[in-house]
Amino acid sequence: MIEAPAGTAWYVYGVGEDDPALSRLAGVELIRRGGLTAVVREVPLAEFDEAVLPERLNDREWLERNARAHEDVLQAAAAVTAVVPLRFGTIYRSREHVERMLDERAEEFGATLDQVRGHVEVGVKAWIDLRTLERTLAGGDEPTAGGEGAAYLQRRQREQQRSREVAVRCAELAEEAHSRLSSQAVAAVANRPQPRELTGRSESMLLNGAYLIREGDDRLRRELEHLAAVHAAAGVEYELTGPWPPHNFAGEQR
Amino acid sequence: MSVAERRPALAEQVTLLDLVDRVLNKGVVVTGDITLAVADVDLVYVGLRLLLASAATLEREAAG
Repeated sequence: MIEAPAGTAWYVYGVGEDDPALSRLAGVELIRRGGLTAVVREVPLAEFDEAVLPERLNDREWLERNARAHEDVLQAAAAVTAVVPLRFGTIYRSREHVERMLDERAEEFGATLDQVRGHVEVGVKAWIDLRTLERTLAGGDEPTAGGEGAAYLQRRQREQQRSREVAVRCAELAEEAHSRLSSQAVAAVANRPQPRELTGRSESMLLNGAYLIREGDDRLRRELEHLAAVHAAAGVEYELTGPWPPHNFAGEQR
Repeated sequence: MSVAERRPALAEQVTLLDLVDRVLNKGVVVTGDITLAVADVDLVYVGLRLLLASAATLEREAAG
């Protein structure tokens, strides 16, 4: 294991406006500069140094504790003012470096704050039970002509045809859901569905979407209820999460 | 038709996976003195997968 350096650093969670409401937040410090406020916390460098981070990230307990801390700070900040979430693990060695970052990115942060002010992010996941979907697609099993070999081949061909149909229908359902939900949102992102080994569910994730909506706007939820009713027969279930800080709409993504 | 709903304010109900998806994979990227190079969340997924697999094994062993 590589020796971690001693000392502390400044972990930046997010950037908001110079809003006095931010000073109510507990457990964090604020670095103000040119109308912007960085929400920061002093952290031991030993925890976050580049040399030790890859190892830490694969430590579930560490990852969970720190990811939750990151989210908790952003939620508390987003509850009182508009905030641009920064990605996990953005760390500076001094307050001056944070100030310089605010100077350099002032225009970009300003533009993003303008977009997210008064809005929240909500997440929608759609899950599909493939067996239910297959039943809705099932045509009759036509009687097979010819001998045993021919019957086997026909069965194989039908199976392949069936799995192509399932894939096409899944793509259609996901596309329809995302497009209908997007029409009720200011901005929308379809993220990669989470892998089934990690979700631990027997259904597959069809859609992993994030939508930016005006605070208190109920239209997306109503659209979702409509979709849930229409798609239930095809084996699709929907799940709504949020409101989240606008992680997916924080500007430049990589 | 009801829609399952989870509010992140109830921290324990937000899965680690949802957190990783947002906190590590999203948010604006600015170059810090130390910037976590989670350019691809797959790296974290790989780690999680191993951890979950080993946790499941431990549980099975404990139960058996």
